[in-house]
Amino acid sequence: MLTFDWQGVLSGQPLQWILSGYLTTLWVSAIGMVLAGLLTGLFLLLRLAGGRIGRGLVATWVSLFRNTPLLVQLLFWYFAAWNLLPQGLRDSINAPHSGSVLPGDVWWLSPEFLCSAWGLAAFTSAFLIEEITAGMRAVSPGQVEAALSQGFSHQALLRHILLPQGLIYAWQPVVGQLLNLMKLSSLASGIGFAELTYQVRQIESYNAHALEAFAVGTVLYLLTGMVLGLLLTRLPVARQKPARQARTSTQGEPQHER
Amino acid sequence: MLSALFSRSAAQAAEPYRLRQASVEFRNAGKSWGSNQVLRAINLTIAPGEVVAILGPSGSGKSTLIRLINQLETLSEGDILIDDRPTRQLRGAALRQLRSRIGFVFQQFNLYAHLSALQNITLALTTVHRLGEADATARARALLDRVGLTEKADHYPSQLSGGQQQRVAIARALASDPQIILFDEPTSALDPETIGEVLQVMKQLAHSGITMVVVTHEMQFAREIADRVVFIDGGEILEIATPQSFFTRPEHERARRFLNKVLDPLHTEDTHHADF
Amino acid sequence: MNANLAVITDNLDYLLWGRLAQGEPGGVVLTLLMALGAAALAIPVGVVLACAAWRYRGGVRRLLFLWAEIIRGIPLIFVIFWLWYLLPMMTGGSLPGAVTVTLALAWFTSAAVMHSVLAGLQALPSGQYEAAQTQGFSESQALWFILLPQALRNVMPSLLGILIALLKDTSLAFIVNVPELTTVAGQVNNRVQIYPMALFIFIAVIYYLLCSSLGLLARRFQRQAV
Repeated sequence: MLTFDWQGVLSGQPLQWILSGYLTTLWVSAIGMVLAGLLTGLFLLLRLAGGRIGRGLVATWVSLFRNTPLLVQLLFWYFAAWNLLPQGLRDSINAPHSGSVLPGDVWWLSPEFLCSAWGLAAFTSAFLIEEITAGMRAVSPGQVEAALSQGFSHQALLRHILLPQGLIYAWQPVVGQLLNLMKLSSLASGIGFAELTYQVRQIESYNAHALEAFAVGTVLYLLTGMVLGLLLTRLPVARQKPARQARTSTQGEPQHER
Repeated sequence: MLSALFSRSAAQAAEPYRLRQASVEFRNAGKSWGSNQVLRAINLTIAPGEVVAILGPSGSGKSTLIRLINQLETLSEGDILIDDRPTRQLRGAALRQLRSRIGFVFQQFNLYAHLSALQNITLALTTVHRLGEADATARARALLDRVGLTEKADHYPSQLSGGQQQRVAIARALASDPQIILFDEPTSALDPETIGEVLQVMKQLAHSGITMVVVTHEMQFAREIADRVVFIDGGEILEIATPQSFFTRPEHERARRFLNKVLDPLHTEDTHHADF
Repeated sequence: MNANLAVITDNLDYLLWGRLAQGEPGGVVLTLLMALGAAALAIPVGVVLACAAWRYRGGVRRLLFLWAEIIRGIPLIFVIFWLWYLLPMMTGGSLPGAVTVTLALAWFTSAAVMHSVLAGLQALPSGQYEAAQTQGFSESQALWFILLPQALRNVMPSLLGILIALLKDTSLAFIVNVPELTTVAGQVNNRVQIYPMALFIFIAVIYYLLCSSLGLLARRFQRQAV
């Protein structure tokens, strides 16, 4: 019935493509996660300390990035927003640099990589903000009052009391969002970013070994997700069991996780 | 008598199955959860139409005892015979048939939250017993009258007080015209002022032909309506007696201690407290 | 600014309903058709699977969870790819692209629906099922008349969240060139080239309106439930 030719996919040029694509996926996911974390931290602080305007800004950010598809966001960043950058900056990015290649031969200083990483980070941050806010809500308000009366600044309150405990409560959904980011990086193939999905389709048009290529891609994503999930849930953060698994949504929109 | 109310529709009911006699017999019954033996060597015969009260301290296994009768819990040893027929091996349709002959009233009422009081009663009638809509509604209204809640027919459980919910629960349990009715601490979750209305309904039910087994803490009530009292502690039946002899001259040591604690909580025979 | 908006107004009909006149729906219309179609499949399937998982606690439940893990563990794009290649082999013919994507979306989403409804069933007080048992209801009867009505009402906000995600996921049809809103916008952008900003903001607004109104609906349900 169906004959599989694994050689055609796991050797020569196709194998190169797969490896390159896979490493690209890993790198853009890693950088995306770091960026997402930074954005989330920033916005959480803004929500805590920024008064009504701050909270409004965060709510707008969250609403905007959760109610529009990631693909549309990526298309926007790549085709529209990119051209808003000053010409000089765009030129310098496109020119070759010594430090613009990550281990594994991954070019990070390219519009595709930068837009993908930024797009993934912005999208994921919107979900992380809400998940962690929900986690922080589970921290008893008494602790917040105690800290404030001790003279903690908002930043210190966030950093030392709310965030550590909030993260423990919210760790499950946070891990889910990070894994999502890795899987959603596949959408970047839509803007021509040469990550794993892009390369899989490349193979398909190269020697028509569609099913074998899809199978390899599927296995790689599954395994990566599993390993990443295991690693993240082994961290000390996850070890501390929260008092209750509050999978409730915040006062804002109901939780939709993608 | 309650059954007179249904004698007309009983002939029409699609369900011809009835127990010949509503007797319950525990034969060396036992229940364990893993290594923890909750009930042991239970031997008890309840005659048709009898009212039996089951008393005992918390953790004694009395709830488990009553829940074994309609298999909300399953036996680990021995058997329970209903209508002289063993029930331990019953499954599926046969078990459901048996259950429709037994009414059960829970401590937490367990009314179907998304249905009105009337619908709570008609649901089993139309679904399990396949009664027509009109017949089911008529029977349900009659039952609500019986428990004094005619005007609450269209109210939802969240709109009813605890006592009212429990009365609806009793009406619901009576819907299938059961021959045996079981009460698992029916008033323990109620505010004191609503306990009375539920006990009233239960009192009217007693000795109407239906076999009644009641797990309760209401001593006065047990004394008044029970034919026999079963005292259970530590998973074993320690004493079975008439209310008269149990409440005045309990034989077993632990029964005596129990009664003392319950009837006179401040002055138990525990010597520590006596030394103030 | 005028020139910018012209790209939208010139192509508005194509963006909104594609080539509907020729029997090829596209744009917003196709997006809605696919989302509704996938929901109409995913919800019943998810409910049935949840009931199965609730009822058969051991191997069946583990199998279902494993299936759900695998489905959700691969990018949705790959689910679309797999169906894109396997369905023609199985059905012998070629299905319209939109149908394939809709089926892929339904497949993917039903796993989420299953988890949501199962959680709803498990969150009900155990007394509800016990009461049903004492009255002689069979498991199926108890699920249909007593447990599901309550569970579904309780997880409505979560289900609406799943629908919002579904609506956004229709945009993935872009990858296989099925002409829903995002693909159509991409096509216009390729042709016109010079006004991407207006175009992508426009479709973003449309998605935003659709998704946030579902979100408002969900919030109303949440308030009612309390």
